[in-house]
Amino acid sequence: MIKLFEGVLAVPMIGTLDSSRTQAVMEALLQKIVDTESELAIIDITGVPTVDTLVAQHLMKTVAAARLMGADCIISGIRPQIAQTIVHLGVELQDVVTKATLADAFGIALRRSNRTIVRMGKTAAAATSDAEPGTGTH
Amino acid sequence: MVLVQTNESVPIATDDDIVRVRQRVRDTAVSLGFSLVDQTKLVTAASELARNALVYGLGGTVRIETLLNDRRSGLRLIFEDHGPGIADTALALTDGYTTGNGLGLGLSGARRLCQDFELVSRPGEGTRVTIARWK
Amino acid sequence: MERIPILKMGQSLLVSIQVDMHDRLALSLQDDLTQQIVNTRARGVLIDISSLEVVDSFIGRMLANIAAMARVLDAQTVVVGMRPAVAITLVELGLSLTGVRTALNVEKGMRLITESGGMEDGAGSDE
Repeated sequence: MIKLFEGVLAVPMIGTLDSSRTQAVMEALLQKIVDTESELAIIDITGVPTVDTLVAQHLMKTVAAARLMGADCIISGIRPQIAQTIVHLGVELQDVVTKATLADAFGIALRRSNRTIVRMGKTAAAATSDAEPGTGTH
Repeated sequence: MVLVQTNESVPIATDDDIVRVRQRVRDTAVSLGFSLVDQTKLVTAASELARNALVYGLGGTVRIETLLNDRRSGLRLIFEDHGPGIADTALALTDGYTTGNGLGLGLSGARRLCQDFELVSRPGEGTRVTIARWK
Repeated sequence: MERIPILKMGQSLLVSIQVDMHDRLALSLQDDLTQQIVNTRARGVLIDISSLEVVDSFIGRMLANIAAMARVLDAQTVVVGMRPAVAITLVELGLSLTGVRTALNVEKGMRLITESGGMEDGAGSDE
């Protein structure tokens, strides 16, 4: 689990998930949310080839539990195959936000926490003078 | 073959007894080495069923039992009351169904929280609910 | 019977539940809070459940009732500090706590109340 920045956690999941492993990771995530006071967790499953009903349900339950606690989750890295499985299995996504790529999820995390990324020039001074008026700043 | 050891029997007659049931179930679950999440599920299920025994069953008891089969240990709770009994157990087990002021999640919720669940009840013959979780 | 203390924090009320409540105590908390919202004209109610190891459907209903009654009295309720094991169990139990807003801790809960117009402070105050 990675703390991306203040208030945002990223949980990359890799490999084939089984029910008990998913459960363990999800419990650890919820505890991490409390420990780091993070209001947003991005669960990235780019590295997960397939998902079965049980795992999908665990993910949904984790999102529900996080919300009950006062945080939220985004699930990113959903491959077309997994998207198909989710639909075929009739798993209720409810209003969970899902994104195809981690980059998209990261973008949401930035927006929700009122942040933006600023490109710096060769030197800090050059960057300041290069900056167009009205460019977003942090 | 399952070895059953009855640890104790707790009466359920007042509000305070529901709290005592929670405490005794928690203590027993801890001593058996259940994980925190499993402890919480057991205690929550016990709370629901103890309240049912008090409110609908007009009072009863819970037997707290330790189970042992060759691989695992478990905790079993048997709630018994001599109240009016349940006419339609299938209906009673549906989410949201309540004959009182509750949320109707007690029986169905307890079933979801535990691995073993049994409901035996007939009008005029009281109610017995058995739940168990294994480590 | 003992009663759960209700503290006044600015224009909000703060309740920290630190005991395993029996049903009667939970009901009296519901009554006391509603009364205090009226007495103090509170705009926010923060219920800290970080000490609770168990939240069953009775307590869940109490929280939902408090939030509903507070809303009628124009106050925002936020429940804070729910433990992971409790959250996981509530999801499994099937209890959704609709109408109850939640936050990770008191500080974030207060921010929720302020942001949703529950209170005004400083220059924006119309007092």
